[in-house]
Amino acid sequence: MKRTENIKKNIADALELPQDIVLDLPKITMVGNLQLCVENHKGIIEYTNNQIRIYTKLGILRVLGKNLLLKNIVLEEIVIVGEIKQVEFYD
Amino acid sequence: MLILRLWNYMRGYVIIKIEGLSLEKFINACVQKGIYLWEIKRINYTTIEAKVGIKGFKVLKRLSRKCGCRVYISEKNGYPFWAHKVKKRKMLLIGAFFSCILLMIASSFIYSISIVGNDKVSKEEIADALNKVGMKAGVNRYFVDIRDIENRLLMELHDLAWVGIELKGVYAKVEVVEKVPIPERVDKDIPCDIIAAKNGVIEKVIARNGDAVVKKGDIVSKGDKLVTGVITRENLPNPLYVHSYGEVYAKTYYEATKSMPTVELKQEPTGEKHKKYMLRIGSMELSIGGGEIPFTTYITEKSIKAPFFWRNKDFPVEIIVEEYLEVNETQVDLNIDEIKKVLHSDSVQELMKEIPAEAEILNSTIDFYQVEDIIYGNMIIEVLEDIAEQKKIDL
Repeated sequence: MKRTENIKKNIADALELPQDIVLDLPKITMVGNLQLCVENHKGIIEYTNNQIRIYTKLGILRVLGKNLLLKNIVLEEIVIVGEIKQVEFYD
Repeated sequence: MLILRLWNYMRGYVIIKIEGLSLEKFINACVQKGIYLWEIKRINYTTIEAKVGIKGFKVLKRLSRKCGCRVYISEKNGYPFWAHKVKKRKMLLIGAFFSCILLMIASSFIYSISIVGNDKVSKEEIADALNKVGMKAGVNRYFVDIRDIENRLLMELHDLAWVGIELKGVYAKVEVVEKVPIPERVDKDIPCDIIAAKNGVIEKVIARNGDAVVKKGDIVSKGDKLVTGVITRENLPNPLYVHSYGEVYAKTYYEATKSMPTVELKQEPTGEKHKKYMLRIGSMELSIGGGEIPFTTYITEKSIKAPFFWRNKDFPVEIIVEEYLEVNETQVDLNIDEIKKVLHSDSVQELMKEIPAEAEILNSTIDFYQVEDIIYGNMIIEVLEDIAEQKKIDL
């Protein structure tokens, strides 16, 4: 498993392919601290006003902030708006 | 994004409240099923609020039972719901439709006719003629042929050279151009006299044909016979009728009196202002506020604020703002020589309009006299001009 990952990464590097597609990683885009967009997620684990936890391939992505709101949620993408303070990955 | 919101509005959506414990699971399930949820808000530990499309909502209801959540609709939004509401109130729709039709019908009538461009022909005369040819207030604009009416009006009134009717909404503007009368010319074969066109003192009579009946120094008034076309000689049994022509030069006098006060009232604003507001509806004026004017001497500035314009027509509701500026009045004596100069040039200007271009100016005098505070200037210009005018002899 680890080996195939490495091969994939090398191929992606060699061909300059976007890594998020080849490695199936989440792509996280932020607009200041107002908006956060997570593409390629695997589902939502927890949602409260102050904390949102999203399951991704790398583990759990935790977004901390104030007045968080799920602007929209579809199969590939989650858009969070509000006052974002902290974004972190943990297992 | 406006376009997205508009799209959602057209499709229709509901704001739902979801109650349950494992709400995240429920959201995930929705996403898996392809239900689009947006603007998800956490209200408290067991409730969230979200927006969902109409189709999505139907699927969501079934799903909620599986997840052990309860779904309530808190608000319905969008065009389909609105349309449904309107459908239930058919009379409203019918009323709106009929009021539109009524407005269209009402605005197809001509309510007022204004006549412009007439000078010699009176407005009443034109209005009567318009009435006769079928154009009057209250007639439907779609039932009258404007071009036809223009032609018929021209036939009705011979003094008009051109008629143009313009419809502006419910208002018809009739523009007319009058015929300029052609100076009467007497044909060469027709016997005629020469008469005076103006009052004057005869200076020279050149009768190229016909017998002069006046001589130098005679005072004639307008219409007097100067040269006759009826020639009687002792050896002629019957008088001979000829077409007389020639030039008759006479001194004519043009007079003008102008006046001007010697003192001028000078108004200097003190800077104090007072405003008054009025609402005008139709011809009714209502004072809104402002109260009494606190000044004894003031000038008034009026400005009108119309709330909006519609089709170049003034809306009958206006707000009139009257501004009163306090002024100090002082009387200033003017230079008399200065006044005389102004009076002189004014009089000359006025008289020059009346004097024909080919006339020769012989003399001009101006007399000034003062009555109380007013100076009068009486100007007389003496002119030498041809006053001959031909007139047919009635046999």
